[in-house]
Amino acid sequence: MNERDRRAIIFRFVITLLVIVAINFLLPRMMPGDPFSTMASDIQGEDVIVMTEAQREYYFHYYGLDLPLHEQFFSYLANLARGDLGRSIHYRMPVNEVILLHLPWTLLIVLSATAISTVAGVILGVVSARNRSKGSDRLMMTGLIAFAEIPSFLLGIILLLIFCVHLQIFPLAGAVTPFAHYTGVLDQVRDIAYHAFLPVLTLSFAQLTGVYLLTRNTLITVSTKDYIRTAHAKGLGDRIVWTRHALRNALLPVVTRTGFVIGMLMGGAVLVESVFNYPGIGLLLRNAVVARDYPLIQGILLVVAISVLLCNLMADRIYLKLDPRVAG
Amino acid sequence: MSVLEVSNLECCYHTDNGAVKAIDGISFGLEAGEIIGVIGESGSGKTTLALSIMRLLDGRASISGTISYNGTNIAHLPEPEMNRFRWKDIAIVFQNSLDVLNPVMTVGNQVIEPLLKHENISVREAEARCADLFRTVGLDPIWMDAYPHQLSGGMRQRVLLAMALSCNPKLLILDEVTSALDAYTRKEIRDLLIGLQKKNGYGMVVVSHDLSFVSSLASRMIVLYAGRVVESGPTTDIINAPRHPYTRGLIHSTPDIFIYRDLWGIPGGEASGGDGYAGCPFGRRCTQSIDICRTSPPLLQPCGDDREVACHRGGIATLLRADDIHFRYTLPAGRVLHAVDGVDVEVREGEVLAIVGQTASGKSTLAHILAGILRPESGTVRFMDREVYGANYGHRFGGIQIVFQDPFSSTSNRFTVLDAVREPLDINGIGTAAERLDMAREALRQVRLPTIDEFLGRYCGALSGGQRQRVALARAMVMKPKLLIADETTSALDVSTAANVLRTLKGIQNRKGFAMIYISHDLSLTLKIADRIAVMDAGRIVETGNAHEVMLHPRDDRTKRLIDARISHCCHDHGDGVPTLTGMGEP
Amino acid sequence: MVPHLQDVIARLRDVISKFSLEGKIGLCGIALIVMVAVFAPFLSAYPPGKITGGSLESPGADHPLGTDELGMDIWSQICYGARMSLFIGLAVACIAGLGGGALGILAGYLGGAADQLVMRTVDVIMALPAFPLLIVISAFMGPNIFNVIFVLVLFSWAKPARIARSQTLTIKNNAYITAARNYGATPFYLLRRHILPEVFPILFVLIIGITSYAIMAETGLAFLGLGDPTAKSWGMMLHYATSFRSIYFTPYWQWWLLPPLAALIVLLLCLAFVGRDLEQVLDPRIRQNRGV
Repeated sequence: MNERDRRAIIFRFVITLLVIVAINFLLPRMMPGDPFSTMASDIQGEDVIVMTEAQREYYFHYYGLDLPLHEQFFSYLANLARGDLGRSIHYRMPVNEVILLHLPWTLLIVLSATAISTVAGVILGVVSARNRSKGSDRLMMTGLIAFAEIPSFLLGIILLLIFCVHLQIFPLAGAVTPFAHYTGVLDQVRDIAYHAFLPVLTLSFAQLTGVYLLTRNTLITVSTKDYIRTAHAKGLGDRIVWTRHALRNALLPVVTRTGFVIGMLMGGAVLVESVFNYPGIGLLLRNAVVARDYPLIQGILLVVAISVLLCNLMADRIYLKLDPRVAG
Repeated sequence: MSVLEVSNLECCYHTDNGAVKAIDGISFGLEAGEIIGVIGESGSGKTTLALSIMRLLDGRASISGTISYNGTNIAHLPEPEMNRFRWKDIAIVFQNSLDVLNPVMTVGNQVIEPLLKHENISVREAEARCADLFRTVGLDPIWMDAYPHQLSGGMRQRVLLAMALSCNPKLLILDEVTSALDAYTRKEIRDLLIGLQKKNGYGMVVVSHDLSFVSSLASRMIVLYAGRVVESGPTTDIINAPRHPYTRGLIHSTPDIFIYRDLWGIPGGEASGGDGYAGCPFGRRCTQSIDICRTSPPLLQPCGDDREVACHRGGIATLLRADDIHFRYTLPAGRVLHAVDGVDVEVREGEVLAIVGQTASGKSTLAHILAGILRPESGTVRFMDREVYGANYGHRFGGIQIVFQDPFSSTSNRFTVLDAVREPLDINGIGTAAERLDMAREALRQVRLPTIDEFLGRYCGALSGGQRQRVALARAMVMKPKLLIADETTSALDVSTAANVLRTLKGIQNRKGFAMIYISHDLSLTLKIADRIAVMDAGRIVETGNAHEVMLHPRDDRTKRLIDARISHCCHDHGDGVPTLTGMGEP
Repeated sequence: MVPHLQDVIARLRDVISKFSLEGKIGLCGIALIVMVAVFAPFLSAYPPGKITGGSLESPGADHPLGTDELGMDIWSQICYGARMSLFIGLAVACIAGLGGGALGILAGYLGGAADQLVMRTVDVIMALPAFPLLIVISAFMGPNIFNVIFVLVLFSWAKPARIARSQTLTIKNNAYITAARNYGATPFYLLRRHILPEVFPILFVLIIGITSYAIMAETGLAFLGLGDPTAKSWGMMLHYATSFRSIYFTPYWQWWLLPPLAALIVLLLCLAFVGRDLEQVLDPRIRQNRGV
């Protein structure tokens, strides 16, 4: 199983990457118009740029948009290899820098949400599995499954309306309070957490049910296996049987799934950040799309795609490592 | 004091469709150092029994009765207290299924685990003991770091055994430990178990459906059927002379106990129950059941020699009993031929007794006497406790029927097949014409003859010898006998025809369950179908016993002479100068 | 054809009777929304795109849910928006479900190079991060309802294809297929009599799932401003509402933002309940795992 599968996984990773790079490259060039003609800017809090004809021609040439297609592609690939993602038309900075300004916020909420949803999902899943078929289990299942069907960003809007608009507990936008004066690191951390709370909560809900169901169902399946009976027979006591034997097996798929969770959350961050006006790369992508800022769009897409693919790859590799049945 | 004493154990599974009784009143005891075997097929409750002793049944099962270990009743102990007994006192070796060991822990760690929990030793000591255990069961300690999926089935079974022995239990339960193993590994495990038992004196409960394995280990056996004990006693006694019809059927179905006999299954399907049936669980498949068998379940009763059986009829009942039969022919020259000279015969329900002897040993005369055709000079023949002669058992259903040797005189040339088969019904006025036709057809079907009108209308004179003999057989079958006497029935037929007729005959006998006395001069032939053999010589029965016993370990000289009279090429060497078939094995 | 129709209706009735309470509620909810969509012209006084009142009027006699920033009646937008959301959802689901399913069946049945090609494509599509790509592609293709449908189909056909293929493979390996072939059955016969009846119920359940996904995705895209402004779905309503700068500082969100939000959640929940019940009815094995 092993060598072939490992190679297949890496192969798929590479092909997908190539597809993304190709899409990345082709798309903007297939769109009607060019970045400089559409000036309708919906970006909140940003300036609108107006260009003269001469400036337009200059930037056209600067971005190589007047070269034949294949030459553009090769120069694009060459730049990629060098780590040069180009210059953002809108922000007038290298794309790398723009992304690096916004990426940490996304990572913050995505990783926090992953941690929270995994821990909460596992705990709820274990409780549910131990009380299988009793009232609490059925209630939890119906409730959480219903929750999962509501798209996360709609949930986000609801949370926004309740906590920000109606109750006014949380802020409406931003990652930090603008022009804030911090009395120390702790104060700064508090402020960040205060702003990040609702986005993290929304993202957590997005994946909570998935982790919960996986934990619960795997645990139930595992508890019917013969080795659990063997462990009981050895007189080891409930606690050891559950932790060392049942959970260790049941958590395998959950742990490997965590990699995929990160990937999915990175994809879903766009909407949630838009709802809460949280300045991560999701919001950045939206703004870039509205402004038709090609290089920025391509850069963000590449970064997001690579992160997601890396997470998936990691998840696959971790699974291969953790389960002795396939590692051998 | 006995190590284990199970009293009136009952176990119920509560499913969505109602309660299912897996064990319905089992009681047995085990002394220290004793090995007891529990035999049963699927659904007999044997695994449930093994699990209940260890209290490993899940929440949906409830048990009642007592399970007494060294005097303590563990049947309803709370879990924490039960854990003190588990593994240290009572350990179980499971069948090695795919998931019986935790796939993400090394096997070494899984064996060490109970050691660390139950005994106060350091990890290093535990590892050393684990290595010892591995060596004891024949595994290289190098495998301690392997994962379960890296071991073969036989190796995993040994790991399970090592794991069970780790805390030196007093009582060992083995649940189907040889099911997934090949014959060689099975033998190794068995030898291992016997060696360990001799050295450490474990009490063992060996649960299995594999009669060969259990009988090679256990000194006593209990046989389970549908959650009840149907028979118990010393192993050798049970195998040589089973008292319960189910046990007999099991032994018949096990090919490597009596290896010269053909394999015959038990007719009928699953155990009865569930539809308000309150009788003996084996009742619907039993060939000797009476009315009470359908209305109340029998209790396990002692029947002598430290044996018990659960049967309303006391086990396999005696059907025919002949005591001290004498019969003399007076010859023209005034000489008297003592054809039957003080013969005792006993035939039990569902049994095939072969009476073997040379020509003029008196076999046929005896057959006629047993059938009630000839009147013995002295002695009694009782069939179901009534004197046979004059009771007209041949006139009715459920009686005694006899089939003779010469096919051409067994049936009349001028009778059609239908007439011949229907004759006994016609003579005794049984049933309407249509019913007789149906019964005749049914009988013909049983002997594998055609039932189409064309064949029914054919004259017996136009049939071959084999066909006529089958017609004679059908005629006997139409009266649904409880005892069939086959007097040299196949001796006059061609070899291949004889083989076919014999197989048909034995097939009907197994299905219908009637007893059969098979008279023959051919010892090898009878070995294929007989349960017991009686050797007759000059009017006397010189040796009786289990067919294989008589054949392989003859005691009487005349029996030995009969056996040595075999002259054919044979697959194995008799040491008597008869050439063996070469090329039967690799040189 | 007629007895066939009666068969279908009887089967439908039988399936629905096995639904749980939530499933039946879901079915009613969907039926309600479909009614609203179909009878939109009769339920609302004004056409949705027409300016019929002042800007941001509170709910009143004229406008049951008030008006939006431009003065368009919100209730009519809800009614007509139902059409849009349902249309997009169903269109994507049917095309992706049936198209993808057909491709999957073909791939499974034919095997070989065709199978490999389809499967590698499916693998790559399923490995791509869907939503970011959706955003980028629809941004570049332009705000047109058919572009939206096209893009959503592109990402949705992979799952039905994969499932249809694996089902086909399982069926293909049965002995009764070999036997039928031995008797001279053509591929069309096998497809019609054996494969389609088995695969279709599963595809049907999937289609409901894709409908949910498509509605969700379209809403997401519209929310970001990438929807079709002329095809005003509920998602577009959300977009306009949240784009209005003072939306959170005024009470207008109660009747501009909440109704489409509530409508979407109701529709998605109903679809989810129906989908789950359908899956359970069609595959009895799942019944055992479902919390029991």
